[in-house]
Amino acid sequence: MARYALRRCGWTVVQLAVLSVVVFLLTNLLPGDAATVDFNEQAGLDQVAQLREQMGLDRPLSERFVDWTGSLLTGDLGTSLVGGEPVSEVLSRSVGVTAALAAITLLLLVPLAVVLGLLTGLRAGGRTDRVVSAVTLTLASVPDFVLALLLVGVVSLRLGWLPATWVGADDQWWQRPELFVLPVTVLLARTVGGLSRQIRAGTIASLNAGYTVQARRLGVPPARLVLRHVLPGAAVPGVQELARAGDQLLGGVLVTEAVFAIPGTATALVEAVRNRDVPTVQALTLALAAVACLLNLVADLVGRRLAPRTEVLR
Amino acid sequence: MKQGPARRRRRTAGGALLLAPPGTAALVGPFVTPADIPSDGMPYARGDGHPLGTDALGRDVLTLVLRGGASALGVACAAVALAVAVGAVLGLAAAASHRRWLDDLLMRPVELLLPLPSFLVISVVGVGWRGQPVAVALAVAALNVPAVARLLRATALDAASGPVAEAMRLQGESPTRILFGHVGRAVLPVAAADAGTRVGATVFTVAAANFLGLGLDPTSPDWGVLIAASREALFVQPWAVCAPTLLLVMFTVGANLLADGLMPRGAEPGGRAAAWNQ
Amino acid sequence: MEPVIEVRGLTARAGTATLLDGIDLTVAPGEVTALVGPSGSGKTTAALALLGEAAPGVRLTGTVSVAGTQVVSAQGPTGSAPAARGRLVAYMPQHPAHALHPARRIGPVLTELARLHRPDSARSRSAAAAHAAVALRTAGLPDGGTIRRRFPHQFSGGQRQRVALAQVLACGPRVVVLDEPSTGLDTVARMRLAGELTRLVDGGITVLLLSHDLDLVRAVAARTVLLARGRVVATGPTEDVLPAEPPPAPPASASGPLPSPEGDSRGEVTALQAHGLSAWIRPGHRGEVLHDVTVGVREGGCTAIVGPSGSGKTVLARCLAGLHERHRGRISLFGESLPVLRHRTPRQIRGVQYVWQEVRNSFDERRTVVEQVARTAVRLRRLSPEAAERRATEVCERLGLAPGDTRRHAASLSGGELQRAALARALLAEPDVLICDEITTALDAASTELVTAELARLRRESHTAVLWIGHDLELVERLADDLVVLDEGTVVESGGCHSVLSSPGSETTRLLLRSRHLGTRSASPSAPAPPDVRGEEEPCP
Repeated sequence: MARYALRRCGWTVVQLAVLSVVVFLLTNLLPGDAATVDFNEQAGLDQVAQLREQMGLDRPLSERFVDWTGSLLTGDLGTSLVGGEPVSEVLSRSVGVTAALAAITLLLLVPLAVVLGLLTGLRAGGRTDRVVSAVTLTLASVPDFVLALLLVGVVSLRLGWLPATWVGADDQWWQRPELFVLPVTVLLARTVGGLSRQIRAGTIASLNAGYTVQARRLGVPPARLVLRHVLPGAAVPGVQELARAGDQLLGGVLVTEAVFAIPGTATALVEAVRNRDVPTVQALTLALAAVACLLNLVADLVGRRLAPRTEVLR
Repeated sequence: MKQGPARRRRRTAGGALLLAPPGTAALVGPFVTPADIPSDGMPYARGDGHPLGTDALGRDVLTLVLRGGASALGVACAAVALAVAVGAVLGLAAAASHRRWLDDLLMRPVELLLPLPSFLVISVVGVGWRGQPVAVALAVAALNVPAVARLLRATALDAASGPVAEAMRLQGESPTRILFGHVGRAVLPVAAADAGTRVGATVFTVAAANFLGLGLDPTSPDWGVLIAASREALFVQPWAVCAPTLLLVMFTVGANLLADGLMPRGAEPGGRAAAWNQ
Repeated sequence: MEPVIEVRGLTARAGTATLLDGIDLTVAPGEVTALVGPSGSGKTTAALALLGEAAPGVRLTGTVSVAGTQVVSAQGPTGSAPAARGRLVAYMPQHPAHALHPARRIGPVLTELARLHRPDSARSRSAAAAHAAVALRTAGLPDGGTIRRRFPHQFSGGQRQRVALAQVLACGPRVVVLDEPSTGLDTVARMRLAGELTRLVDGGITVLLLSHDLDLVRAVAARTVLLARGRVVATGPTEDVLPAEPPPAPPASASGPLPSPEGDSRGEVTALQAHGLSAWIRPGHRGEVLHDVTVGVREGGCTAIVGPSGSGKTVLARCLAGLHERHRGRISLFGESLPVLRHRTPRQIRGVQYVWQEVRNSFDERRTVVEQVARTAVRLRRLSPEAAERRATEVCERLGLAPGDTRRHAASLSGGELQRAALARALLAEPDVLICDEITTALDAASTELVTAELARLRRESHTAVLWIGHDLELVERLADDLVVLDEGTVVESGGCHSVLSSPGSETTRLLLRSRHLGTRSASPSAPAPPDVRGEEEPCP
């Protein structure tokens, strides 16, 4: 296990290194740059050229890459081309909200999906199973931006129960839990279906497995049987799915932050992409990709612990 | 999972039925509607010669919806088709290679790209090549290749190194017959089912990128763009939001159901967990 | 003494079929009672009834009481049955390795079971741990500090069976029910199992042994109950119910005499030869399981390979068949060097055919069995599909498979039938060398005779060489003229079959021979089972 963990961590480091190259190249592929966006109409050509020089955009790609990785390794994320402030500043200002949003979603998602998955898996084919499965499938099939719009329209605008946007909440967001209700609902709706379906399938497989039958024959009472014997077996596909849900969640966060005007990392990223603010895009993309990498790492390690024989890394 | 074949057939049929309206709209729509949709009505008008009303620019929503399916679904479907094609070639080649270094050479780079957040790539490409569906489709395809290749490699390896394949080899069956007669038949339903769920997810991602203004032009007749553009009129002219939404939902639910029905019993989610108990 | 298990008039019905028909059974405390009968005679149904358990759709009536607690009444299982499970009676299934949770360390499961069932452990962690330690020791596992932190997959196959037994013992039951515990064990392991059962009884536990392994029953059971088609046909002390085995007689039903070891069918030409063969299972030459093995089989001859489980017999067979590619050394057929299977010419593939033990999943579910069997002749003998199918049906029939059976799909055939179909699949190639890897394990006596007779005929008429891998030394002695003893991947002894067995020169051979007093079974149960009972194994659902 220790050897596997070490190898898997090494692989993650390689992954991160390659990802940084991909991100750098991808962002530099963006046609047009901050200089042209800033002054599209009014600026003359020489003004643009001057600005490009000032921003260091005229130097060759390889040189800029070496610079960029060098400063990355020393912890310097670069300077935003638009506001002129350090990107780390942008990140630290926005990351709190996004992290809180993701953490709350995950905290609710895991128990909810486990309960739903067990409930449907233990009574597979029954009425509860069919109703819950139909609801989660439909929820997962409604685009999250539509769901967000509908929730805002009905709950906030028509009924006036909850705030529609975060505009005006500014820095006091942690004091206003009601702000989180709708965004978290949207994020949950998108991910809970897939996860609970995996746990349902795992539960069914585990319920029919020889070890569960034997535990029952050795007199393990039903509640304990489900928690200590069925669930560890059922969790295996769930853990892998959770890592995949991370990517979905990221897409969901982008949409919900946009719809609810949440001042988070995703909003900052969308803004930066629109402005061709390359250093900001690079740093934020890399940060999010790193989170995805780490999620995969954790899922593989936990999965290895739960199903020791499956070779996740060949 | 115990599921009667009748229930599976019902699911497959239901999926196909749900896929029909959005599919027809996307396939036939572009031929029965003008390329340039005139702004011939009041903004957010209802009735008045427009069965589904008009949008913010006074364009007919029905025409927009018929026109917009091709880009909303086409990009996703083309991308997934491409991803499955490339992924299948990579995955099957890796599975068929008897040299470990060749397998590594094919699969390792692909696996490196797995954690790349799909949304970011799509938005970067979408902004970079504004209004270029081909660029977006290529990006989406590239994002899906790693997962497809990995899945198909595992399935093909399972089938190709399993006892049935060994028995066939001992009978002197040709590699082609083993590949198409056995491995292919094992891989095909898995690939089809995977493509079904993948198409649903991809339609979403592309639509969401368009919704955020990171893809197509804000006036283009795409379902995602249409929903974004008409969002403030949800209660004034609900059809402008609901019609494209409904079609999107029908498409994804249909694709999911179809994928469920196609999934071979052993390869269902959790199938692997079941396998290591036996 | 008060009986610990009392069964009166136990009847089990599934729909209109009667699985058990008024069984009476009494088990006295502190001894081994055996429940004997062929597969399908209702042993497992009866054993599960002791737990108050019935398979879905099966109705139980009658009375069953275990240590004074009634678990089955005229109305079926009683409400007190769940409380009896584990505490009073614990069941160990036929394939105990599947009964271990792959994701849980064995220690916590043992203590969990002890805390559930033992009054002194419910509150005291240390008492539960002590019970777990005793259970591990009694099951024959060393109780070091690390062993309880291991996962099931970190044990070998035989050790896993002990872990499962330890789980059963951790519950502290009055009665332990063991369902076919000797399935798949080699003779040495079987002898060890017999010793363990005796030790369990000495420790004060009552044992109910379900088995069709009569030698094991004779070795350990004080009393025997004979079951056939759901009825008790005999009961009493073991020596009365199962009189001692008559000396192994030459098979009556064999078509023609078996070639004697000095028979004239054996040519002097070596057909298949492996020279200096080493094989490993993990990439990069890691995990070597065969070290410099040299074996050969002469034209028309039969070389047997024996050895304890895990000695590398199957890897050797797979190397020769070309399926195991991670090997080094020379393999030759009539002096011509053989590459791995995928580089062999059709002629070479035809020359060496391999039949292995676990064949169920080697049949494609989409085609009928006879179709798949016939393909060999189409590909390797260039027969037309029709001729190939006729030939396949013919060979299958000689092996006791009716045409009606082979025209079905694999799922509806039993393990023994598929075993013979797999043999037919290889025989259609009319090979020069046939490698048989424990192909009689799922066969009853009559089918085993058919198979050995067919092999003898081939050796006599077509000079086919046979490489035979098997546990059953009696069968080996009848079939083989040369013997190779393999242990831990090395040839420890080889030579003429009779000379090796009569004057063994290695510890492994002596051990195999010593454990033979349990192993000289003829596969036929002397139980009055009708010979046409499709015996061996239930078809998969």
